[in-house]
Amino acid sequence: MSGPRTPALEPTGPHRPARRRSRRRAFATGAAVLALGIAIGLGSAWLAVRREAGIAAGPWRASLLAGSADADAWTRARVAIGGLLALNREETMYYVATHDYTGAALRSRCTYRVEGTPPPARWWSVTAYAEDFFLFDAPQRRYSVNGETARLDERGRFAFVTGPAAPAAPIVGETVPWLPTPGDRGLLLTLRVYNPEAALQAAPASLDPPRIEPVGVCR
Amino acid sequence: MSAHRAARRRWVLRAAVVLAVAAVVHGLAIWAAPRLIMGRVLAGIGTTGGGGGSGGVFLPPMTDASQRRIVMPSPDLLYAVCPFDVARTPLRIRADPKAPGYWSIALYSASSDNFFVINDRQAGGRPVDLVLAGPSAYPTAPAVPDGATLVAAPSARGMLLMRVLVADYAAQRDQLEAARATLRCEPLR
Repeated sequence: MSGPRTPALEPTGPHRPARRRSRRRAFATGAAVLALGIAIGLGSAWLAVRREAGIAAGPWRASLLAGSADADAWTRARVAIGGLLALNREETMYYVATHDYTGAALRSRCTYRVEGTPPPARWWSVTAYAEDFFLFDAPQRRYSVNGETARLDERGRFAFVTGPAAPAAPIVGETVPWLPTPGDRGLLLTLRVYNPEAALQAAPASLDPPRIEPVGVCR
Repeated sequence: MSAHRAARRRWVLRAAVVLAVAAVVHGLAIWAAPRLIMGRVLAGIGTTGGGGGSGGVFLPPMTDASQRRIVMPSPDLLYAVCPFDVARTPLRIRADPKAPGYWSIALYSASSDNFFVINDRQAGGRPVDLVLAGPSAYPTAPAVPDGATLVAAPSARGMLLMRVLVADYAAQRDQLEAARATLRCEPLR
């Protein structure tokens, strides 16, 4: 037998909406908890891979485990993002500078003079990259200074200049190679040391770090 | 239990869940990042060919600012690339580069680890002859040819990267191009 449902059997008055509201609130709280957990997890992972790690030689930093199978998960992620397909330390050491010797962040619109002694290795190079880890659109493919192209002075030291425009006049009375860094972007310099000598491999912080000096005023 | 204690317990539980989810997501993101990036690079090479070549080898042009596939490319090196998948068959890798300066052949796993490298000094003027075997057993053990070196890959998929130092590309072009063109990556027969 069927008949009209008795309204008295259904939750009446404020009860049903209250239960719905309570369920909705529980769902919203659960979603918020989950979203917060995901955000913290991703944010902390991003901070971990962006953190400067490894050893320091002046403003230059090197990861001792780049490319190595012994690298921890964080080093492996950091290298994949900022230096994928790196070679291990016996083959090549990579030093990266993002600040000048005063501690100021490198900018492509500023001019810097970089001076140092060739590292104890078979071959070396310094390359200018933008903050996205790719090359600047530099005229005449002037992307790097290396063991072949660097001119050494009578003290056996090399020097070059980075900046958006070629130096109008010789800096400190000398003419040095220019690495163009057009635009106004973050700048990083990478020193590659191929087949480093055993002493440098054993103590990467012992590198005589090339000095990165701002030229003139840059705001 | 008082309503106050119940509410406090709920907040502690929520905080614990937030921390647990954050820890799992953090670990997954760190673990996955190199694998995803390598996977994207391998897929890109497989689809575009990077200039094409024989024997499964791709010979990209000299690096310039238009190269935006792999971060921190060196403008001082000429590359040859060979993506591999040794799940079913080992790979035979041969090269006899007669370059005037440094060269190396490096192998990378799917997680981006550099698990093997040989350079010109280590080769000592002799041709490179490698058999790359995957982490899983094959139905029949690979027969390593005389003179070849067996290398165990930690993952079935990965990439070979040959680097040839360029001092002056215009002046050395023929010699450098001939050196990297000696690289062969072929299934072991």
